[in-house]
Amino acid sequence: MTASGPGGSIFDLGYQSYTGPRLGRRSAVRALFSQTIRACFGIGRGGRAKIAPFGLSALAVLPAGLAVGFAALAAQAGPAGGAIENASPIRYETYHGLVAILIMLFCAAQAPELFGRDQRYGVLPLYFSRVLTRPDYALAKVFGLMLALFAVDIAPYLILFVGRVFVAPDPATGLAEEIAALPRFLLQGVLVAGLLGGIAGLIAAWTPRRAYATATIIAVFIIPPIIVAIVAAQTSQDLARALVLFSPGDILDGTNAAIFGSIPDSPVVASVNLPGWAYLAAAAVGIVGSIGLTVRRYVRIAT
Amino acid sequence: MTVMTPLIEVTLRGLLGRRRTILLALLAGLPVLIALLIRVSGGRPDADRILDTLVVRTVMPLVALIVGTAAIGSEIEDGTAVYLIIKPIARWRIAAAKILVAAGLTAVMVIPAVVLTSLLLGRNDMTTTLVGFTVACFVGGSAYAAAFVALSLFTTRALLLGLAYVLIWEGVLSGLLEGTKFLSIRQATLGLAAALGVDVPGEPLAAGVSVAVLATVLVGAFALATWRLARFEIRGGD
Amino acid sequence: MTASPTAPAVVAALEVEHVSRWYGNVVAVNDISFGLGGGVTGLLGPNGAGKSTLLHLMAGLLAPSAGRVLVEGASAWRRPEMYRHVGLVPERETVHGFLTGREFAALNARLQGVADPAGAAARAIATVDLTEAADRPIGTYSKGMRQRAKLAGALVHEPRILLLDEPFNGMDPRQRLHMMTLLRSMAAEGRTILFSSHILEEVERLADSVLVVYAGRLAAAGDFRSIRRLMTDRPHTFTVRSSDDRRLAAALMADASVFGAELVSGHVAIRTADYDAFTRALPRVARDGGVTLFEVRPTDDSLESVFSYLVRR
Repeated sequence: MTASGPGGSIFDLGYQSYTGPRLGRRSAVRALFSQTIRACFGIGRGGRAKIAPFGLSALAVLPAGLAVGFAALAAQAGPAGGAIENASPIRYETYHGLVAILIMLFCAAQAPELFGRDQRYGVLPLYFSRVLTRPDYALAKVFGLMLALFAVDIAPYLILFVGRVFVAPDPATGLAEEIAALPRFLLQGVLVAGLLGGIAGLIAAWTPRRAYATATIIAVFIIPPIIVAIVAAQTSQDLARALVLFSPGDILDGTNAAIFGSIPDSPVVASVNLPGWAYLAAAAVGIVGSIGLTVRRYVRIAT
Repeated sequence: MTVMTPLIEVTLRGLLGRRRTILLALLAGLPVLIALLIRVSGGRPDADRILDTLVVRTVMPLVALIVGTAAIGSEIEDGTAVYLIIKPIARWRIAAAKILVAAGLTAVMVIPAVVLTSLLLGRNDMTTTLVGFTVACFVGGSAYAAAFVALSLFTTRALLLGLAYVLIWEGVLSGLLEGTKFLSIRQATLGLAAALGVDVPGEPLAAGVSVAVLATVLVGAFALATWRLARFEIRGGD
Repeated sequence: MTASPTAPAVVAALEVEHVSRWYGNVVAVNDISFGLGGGVTGLLGPNGAGKSTLLHLMAGLLAPSAGRVLVEGASAWRRPEMYRHVGLVPERETVHGFLTGREFAALNARLQGVADPAGAAARAIATVDLTEAADRPIGTYSKGMRQRAKLAGALVHEPRILLLDEPFNGMDPRQRLHMMTLLRSMAAEGRTILFSSHILEEVERLADSVLVVYAGRLAAAGDFRSIRRLMTDRPHTFTVRSSDDRRLAAALMADASVFGAELVSGHVAIRTADYDAFTRALPRVARDGGVTLFEVRPTDDSLESVFSYLVRR
């Protein structure tokens, strides 16, 4: 609509306002959730952002890949090969010990990016002035991180699983042999992703500066097991028994042993002799608690 | 030489912000706290174990990492490094000042913890433990700090890389591959402690090799930092 | 278009010789050459033109991918001694926030090896008019105060060459005027001052000569009025008010130097390709036609028109 007068003119540039349907809150949450997962792996940002997540994921699946390769070769070698394969240190129940530290590094690398950047650049008001509520934001971020961690955690187990099914004399028997492990490692994966992701997210939400967040996350994961080991070796078992349930690394070691019915990696966890359900309960409390505290942080943050 | 003083001062003041100091104090105080706990609960005194697992393997590299990557890394990240670079100061002086502060701060944090833990939980060989671990942590901590200062001049993700080195390489891999034991500052530190009489579990690195490794890291980090500072580029805004 | 940009022929304190700088596929600075002597030079260009990159190249903070930068005869890259005579005020806002203004100036003085750091700092702080707030941490400063603190830090060692990257960012008009006066007085002492800006009025008001960069290339160099005169393929426009506009316009159209004459209410707008010939022809034509001239004004002799012409070529 062009209008002109003696003093000036307004030109019609064809601007139109959007009159179409507006996707609601659920869409917004889903968009943030998927963006969080992509950010975990550095997708959508330059190559440098992908080095840490993909590097760590590659390291995590490497032993599984190797194990499947050896199993395939061993199957060719007949019964002697079977003996070798059974002696392999890379199995479902031992894999947690191999992969735990990598998941912890993954958390330390990515959680500060997910939770810290929005705070540091002051874009939280942009999010909160939308149909997205504050708990929505926090939950979408936390669950995004957890899902990404879950994927990285179970990838090697899946490779082992599929590999062993096909290496068996025929897939049907292979499946029957291996199927018992499937719900087990899925459950352990949920606990690992939930506990480590929840704690890392909580720390990152409270510590916007990247370096501090990374250092604190790593400290919280690797220091408690050492302290528990010292306390167990040098003081009473009761004290160690209480402290063990405050150490995320040991809790997950305990749940792994409980789920697979195996001997725990950590000698402390083995000596402390707590029933399996204690670890599972501690993990559950840790997961729910950290999610709750993270939501609380964002509900009360000043923008 | 007097130009080093302001460099050291401004680096120290920058490093000892409230949050960072609290984090460092917590980390350094942890071994002492545990030692106190054990002492008070009448547990078995074994300073060596705490000093080995908690200090040398964990607290010392973490403190050196936080301090070393921030000594010049935080200035590069927030853009204040330029004010040090556009000065007529030889690049080796800048490198030396940064490494001195990082190593010194690491020592100031870690050594008292070592001493207190040894005093609280030492056995009959307490003097050996105290002296052995003090010297080893002084040299080893300085080596870590120097290495991380140099690393922070090459990448903005020095903290993460340093963590991966300490946790993955020193923690897992070099344990698996026997031949690479000498490529680990941790093993060199423990080897030095063993050479001074401390009872270190496993097979520690030989004394000569340990000293050589630590010296190489210290000198190499200083040389690398100087080299890199001379060629350090700072991009403009647009 | 046929006239190439020539730099003023003075003894150059700073020489830029065929300097280029690229990052992978992106060329930030493309074959730029000029020399700087005393006085104030303005580096003008839109955002992304490469002004900051050029300044950092001159300050020895970047290595040229091609060509060389000479400061007082020697290479600027990897020569820290040159900073005794060179001061830089970078664009980035952050300064050590925990230092007070005075401490920051004193730090710079001590790192420069100045004989009396405290005195030099006090002088620099007074020069930039920051004495009142000098003992508060820089973290509490406003943007304009931070700029002044940065400038104080660059002045403590009384450099012969001063490079400023967008120094007037965030300054209110009074502060801007103050800093302009300061820079002009420093230039009068014989120092070489180069400042970058994307705001035409600042450059027009302060700079003795101008370097126009656009998309990494040097579009023009020198006094902007002379540049305007060199732009032969674009007519000058004049606004003339007279006693008989129509008669004047008709008479002017007969003159070879005039491209076009347009009657606009109240005046004649004249387009001419030959500035000199027209300025001689106009009084003659007016006298011969019996027309009295009330006002003769060049309409586009401003930096803005020069600039918009240069960047649209």
